[in-house]
Amino acid sequence: MEVLGSRDILNLDRALGLYRVIDEDGNPVAGEPSLPDKLLLDMYTYMIRARILDGWLLKLQRMGRVALHAPNKGQEASAVGATLALKREDWLFPSYRELGALLVRGMTEEEILDRALTTIDDPLKGSDFAIYGHRKYNIVPAPVPVANQIPHAVGAALAAKIMGDKIVTMTFFGDGSTSRGDFHAGLNFAGVFKAPVVFVNQNNQWAISVPLKRQTAAPTIAVKGIAYGVPGIRVDGNDVIAVYTVAREAVERARSGEGPTLIEAVTYRLGPHTTADDPTRYRGEEEVKEWERREPLRRMRRYLISRGLLTEEEDKALWSEWEKRIEETVVKVLEKPPLPPEVILEDVYEEPPWNLKEQMKELRESIRLLKELGIELE
Amino acid sequence: MPVVQVKLPDIGEGIAEGEIVRWLVKEGDTVKRFQPIVEVLTAKATVEIPSPYTGKIRKLLASEGDTVRVGQPIAEIETDTAGPVKEEKEERPEEPRKEEASGQPRPQLEATPIETQAGQAGIARVKAPPSVRILARKLGVDLSKVKGTGPRGVITKDDVLAYAEAQKREPQPPVQVAKEAEVEEERIPLRGVKKVMAERMVEAKTRIPHAYVVEEVDITELLSVRERLKPLAEEKGVKLTILPFIMKAAVKAIREYPLINSSLDEDKGEIIVKRTVNLGFAVDTPHGLMVPVIKNANTKGLFQLAREVRELARKAREAKLSLDEVRGSTFSISNYGSIGGVLGIPVINPPEAAILGVGRIRKEPRIRDGKIEERSLVYLTLSFDHRILEGGYATRFLVRVKELLENPILLLAGEGELE
Repeated sequence: MEVLGSRDILNLDRALGLYRVIDEDGNPVAGEPSLPDKLLLDMYTYMIRARILDGWLLKLQRMGRVALHAPNKGQEASAVGATLALKREDWLFPSYRELGALLVRGMTEEEILDRALTTIDDPLKGSDFAIYGHRKYNIVPAPVPVANQIPHAVGAALAAKIMGDKIVTMTFFGDGSTSRGDFHAGLNFAGVFKAPVVFVNQNNQWAISVPLKRQTAAPTIAVKGIAYGVPGIRVDGNDVIAVYTVAREAVERARSGEGPTLIEAVTYRLGPHTTADDPTRYRGEEEVKEWERREPLRRMRRYLISRGLLTEEEDKALWSEWEKRIEETVVKVLEKPPLPPEVILEDVYEEPPWNLKEQMKELRESIRLLKELGIELE
Repeated sequence: MPVVQVKLPDIGEGIAEGEIVRWLVKEGDTVKRFQPIVEVLTAKATVEIPSPYTGKIRKLLASEGDTVRVGQPIAEIETDTAGPVKEEKEERPEEPRKEEASGQPRPQLEATPIETQAGQAGIARVKAPPSVRILARKLGVDLSKVKGTGPRGVITKDDVLAYAEAQKREPQPPVQVAKEAEVEEERIPLRGVKKVMAERMVEAKTRIPHAYVVEEVDITELLSVRERLKPLAEEKGVKLTILPFIMKAAVKAIREYPLINSSLDEDKGEIIVKRTVNLGFAVDTPHGLMVPVIKNANTKGLFQLAREVRELARKAREAKLSLDEVRGSTFSISNYGSIGGVLGIPVINPPEAAILGVGRIRKEPRIRDGKIEERSLVYLTLSFDHRILEGGYATRFLVRVKELLENPILLLAGEGELE
């Protein structure tokens, strides 16, 4: 399956077209994809898990338990499909809307919730301005400011290349990020030095309230890669098989020393930008309805059923199994104690200087006093 | 069954309060933990708030339309035993505290048990910092009886002082105290026209830097002109008051001083000069202040202005003004003098640049050509937006209005001015 076709980097067709394996109703576009059944079912399961977890994070935010959440609904296929192409030793530089990617890397719902609720087990110890990340799974914490992770991924890829590690980095970012300088610097540098990096643009049509047509005058985002000498390929981001297929190709290219690839995954954010956003103020219901029809889970479910890999009953069971498991996890995590306040002074210096030590002492003393008075800390 | 309060959660990013849009449950309903119970409109979006507990809704503490602050209780739920109370026990096998003789479970942040099955009184714990405890001891105040107003019920210095103060007054017979201390009062909801007035006046007084200039105008001659015009006016079915003359003068002066008839576009930093004068005039009505608008006043003659003033004022009093008749004014006049004030300082009607106030007509002695004469005088006040208008410009405009009123020939000369 040579998706990228010829080695001709400046292949405009790939950057302007739309690669697809199954159509909006889940029918194969050109023959059955030759992927293992288990992989196809895994893709679907990861998307279900991401969808359910996403709903919980929204709910927990509304209960005042999670500070902020960027809903994923509608974009599960791009995150899951692309990340499945990575190997365990590869590194992920996500943005803030890729729950599916975290799950594929091996992060559990519990670990994600620990982070979101900053419990005692939060792998990032409550640090602000970093969404999800986990060292154990080679996931670099996602920064809140958009596009920052692009140069990070390029730098890490280049470092690996210099050190002779056969690893690939993959970074996710939205359409809005392509207007940032970091996107230019990252792609240019990666192109020049053939960094083993895969750029996955989740083009979800809206950068908060800014529509794609106000983001760029270029016909597609994928076409931007060409100017950097980086092959650009546009794929249906709601077709998990198509995303996986192009990502695998891009990862292989990177690993074999041929350099970076820019993947534009055309998708749609069905929910608000974040829990502090009201999309009805800037986009119409019609548009959302149209994209709801194309959403990735419905499509994959239809495909799996038509291919005989899943029955309606098995599908229902799969959903209720994960709904139950994740609710149990939520209840469990809600009961965990919060992080101790001292962590705010950790992880800056290996050996804290005198002033931080003094602050720590004062903090402990204050906490002790407050405890004595029976005042709880938030 | 323990009853817990559901408080408006901190729903993030600087949200301090929200409006209850719709309750999704009613009193008596059974709810499941995580089930959406209420829709709340915040500054950012309308959101559904899930219930933190499983149980029965005992009471809704806020009505639809109410604005509630983050942390404010919005409902009471009778929880089943498997609720969060159990969690607390597990979480806090803490050292027993002196104030907490009952050994009750510690309340969670968002759950304040207000009663238990056994009907025990609320929380015995006293929350107060050392300085407050010392103060209480000095004043002989029993802290367990003081209601804390600080964060999460912490007792503050002020709470102790207020309690001590109240204690001092206590020995007097309570009935008498109540009578003396009670102020008879009535609460009138701010709504309708009054609410609009309140909002617009706050906007005007907080956003617009007002400056003022006052002139005394001698309208003796104008009054005699009016007397002479009366028969003609009556013939046309018009009752001629002094207000149309003042309108005429203002409109004429605006021709020479167009910035008076303008507004400020703050976002763009531009002054919008209006070519049309839509004249608002304040009418005191039984249901509040109304400001009907005479459209295109700059194209209308004296009689026509008089007709419209009368008609619009009648409609205002009968509350029959259409929306179109109360909006779009570009300059306003307040003729408070018709009720009685000698000198008033009106507030600008936003987004206009100025408003003209007309005081009561007084008869006073004035020296003219070396002789004392009885003259009819009126104070005109111009309140103006000092971001748009300089004091000099505003004063020159007012002086021009004065000249026109003191020389009625200038005022009424010209084609169609009388119509």
